[in-house]
Amino acid sequence: MTLFALLFSITLGIGSLAWGYSLVGLTQFAHWIIIFGAAWLFAVWQRWRWFAYAGLTFNFLAAALGLWFLNFQPGWMFAGTIGGLLAWDLTYFLYRQRFAASDEERHAMEKRHLFRISFLALLGFVLANAAMALKFQFNFEWALLSAVVAALGITQIVAWFRKRS
Amino acid sequence: MPRGVFLGLLVFVLLLTGLATLHGTLLALTLPLLVYLFYGLWRGSDEIKLAVDRSMSKERVAPNTPVNIKITITNLHGDLEELAVVDVISPALKVVDGSNHHLISLPKGGSYSFDYTISGPRGGFPFETLHAEAGDHLGILRAKQDIRMFGQLFVFPNIARIKQVPIRPRRTRVYAGTIPARVGGSGVEFFGVRDYQPGDSPRQINWQVSARHVEDLYSNEFQQERVADVGIVLDGRVRSNLFASDHSLFEHSVLAAGALADAFLMQGNRVGLLVYSQYLQWTWPGYGKMQRERILHALSHAAPGDSQVFDGLQYLPTRMFPIESQIVLVSPLVEDDYLPLIQLRARGYQVMIVSPDPVSFEQTYLTDRPEVRLAARVIRMERELMLNRVQRAGVQLVEWNVAQPFDQTARRFFRRRIQMGDRL
Repeated sequence: MTLFALLFSITLGIGSLAWGYSLVGLTQFAHWIIIFGAAWLFAVWQRWRWFAYAGLTFNFLAAALGLWFLNFQPGWMFAGTIGGLLAWDLTYFLYRQRFAASDEERHAMEKRHLFRISFLALLGFVLANAAMALKFQFNFEWALLSAVVAALGITQIVAWFRKRS
Repeated sequence: MPRGVFLGLLVFVLLLTGLATLHGTLLALTLPLLVYLFYGLWRGSDEIKLAVDRSMSKERVAPNTPVNIKITITNLHGDLEELAVVDVISPALKVVDGSNHHLISLPKGGSYSFDYTISGPRGGFPFETLHAEAGDHLGILRAKQDIRMFGQLFVFPNIARIKQVPIRPRRTRVYAGTIPARVGGSGVEFFGVRDYQPGDSPRQINWQVSARHVEDLYSNEFQQERVADVGIVLDGRVRSNLFASDHSLFEHSVLAAGALADAFLMQGNRVGLLVYSQYLQWTWPGYGKMQRERILHALSHAAPGDSQVFDGLQYLPTRMFPIESQIVLVSPLVEDDYLPLIQLRARGYQVMIVSPDPVSFEQTYLTDRPEVRLAARVIRMERELMLNRVQRAGVQLVEWNVAQPFDQTARRFFRRRIQMGDRL
C-alpha cells in the first residue's frame, strides 16, 4: 500500500511538473523531467533512499524556476512540489516499516500515516487552488484533479471518523 | 543529514528567494513544507523514557533448543506516535518464531508486550541492549536510545556421560579417589606384602608368607586410590580442525573435551581446561560441580582460531599443569605434533590423546572417486604411522571416527583398558 502510494506520488509530482512545462511549450524540459522521474522510480526499485532528497530538491527547484522566471500556472507547480514531498516522506516511511513485526502492525501504521499524509496533500492542494484563484487561472483540468483529491481526502476523513465512533 | 534540517534548509532558501524577488507564489510554495515541518515538530518527541523488562524461559540450553524471550515495554514519558524497538541479539542466533523488532504506537503510561523464540548453536550470547527509536509519524524528529539490560544465554554442548576413564598419572593428590596411586595403604587392589605392624587387622595378615617365616608375621598392603590432577587441552588450531568447504572437527572435539571433563570431575579429580587456539583460554583446575560449570562456560565460548604463535604444540605451556600429572589432549593432530608430544612424555606427564579422525571426516564430504580413495589411503597411512610412533612413546590414544557418538567409542576403548588394568 505504501509502495503504491509512493509510486503514485512520484508519478503525480513528476507528471504535474512535466505537464506544466509542456503547457507553455517547453517540451524539451518536460522530457528531461520525465527522464528524472523514471530515474526516481528506478531508485525506488534499487532502494536508493538518498535519491528521495535529490527528487524533492529537483521538484522544488523545477517548480520555483517555473513560477519565478516563466510565470507558469502555479497549480501544476504546487502539485509537483507536493508530489515530491509525499514521495520523499513515503520513501522513509517505507524504510521505517522494516521494524514492523507483522502485517497487522504494518497495516495499522500505514493507515495512520497515509491518513495524515492525505490530509497534508489536501492542504497543499487547497493552497494551490487558493493561488490559482488569486491568479484567476482555474481551468477544467485543475477542477477535475482537485475534485479527485478532495474525494480521496473526504473518504479518508469519513473512514477516520467512522473508526473513532 | 537529518530530515528536519534538510526540510528547514529548503524552506529557508525558498523563503529567502521569495522575499528577495518579492514573488508571492514562491512564498506560497513554502507553505506545504511549513505545514509538514510544523506538524512533525509538534508531534515529535525529543526524549524517550521507557521501562523495559526482559524474561527468558531458559538461560542454559543445549544447541538448537528453542528459548522464549518476553519483553514488556512501559512508556513513562509523553505519547510516542511511532516507536520502533529492536531487541538486539547475536547474529548467530536465529529467530524461529515471532519477531525481535516491532513498530508500535505507545501512549503515555501504556505498556506493550511481545515475545519471540530463538535458537542457536553452541556459545555464550549476551543480551545487553534494546534499541528504541521514537518520533512523529512523519519522521521529522527522531529520538534514539539504547536501553541496557543485561541478560545472557548459554548454549552448552550436548555432553555424553562416560562412567569411568582409567588414567594412571605418576603423581596423585592427597585426597582419596579412584586412581591407583602407586602407594601402599588402604585400598582394594593388592599392592604388596610388608612386615606386620601392631594395629593391623588379622584379616590383613598374609598367612601363606607368614608360614614360611617362623618368627615374623606379614601383612598384605593395598594400593591407595586417590584423586589426580588432569589437564584437558582442547586443540582449536584452524589448520588441524578446518577442512574443505569450512567443515570443522572442532565441534566434535568440544563434545569430547566436555565428556572427558565431566567424567574426570565425577571421579573426584581436579580438572583444568586449556583451549589452544588463537590465544590460550585457561580454566584453572578445580573440583566438583562448580568446576564443571566453569568448564562448560569455557567450552561454550571456545572457537577455533589462527595464530602464528600457537601454530604448533611446542608452545603448549606445560607449567600450567602440575608435574607428572595427567594431560588429555583432544586434537585431530597434524604431522608436526609428534615431537611436542614426545617431549611431554619425557617431562613425566601421562598423556592421553583423543583424536577425532580427520581422514574419514573429510572423506564423507568428498565424492567417492578412485583418486579420492587413493588420496585418503595415502593420508591414512601417514597418519597411522605417526599415531604408531606416538603410541610407542607411551601415549594413550583414543582414535574416534566422528560418525559414531563419542561415548560409544570411549566406553569401548576404556573398557578394554580397564580389563588390561595392570598394564596401564
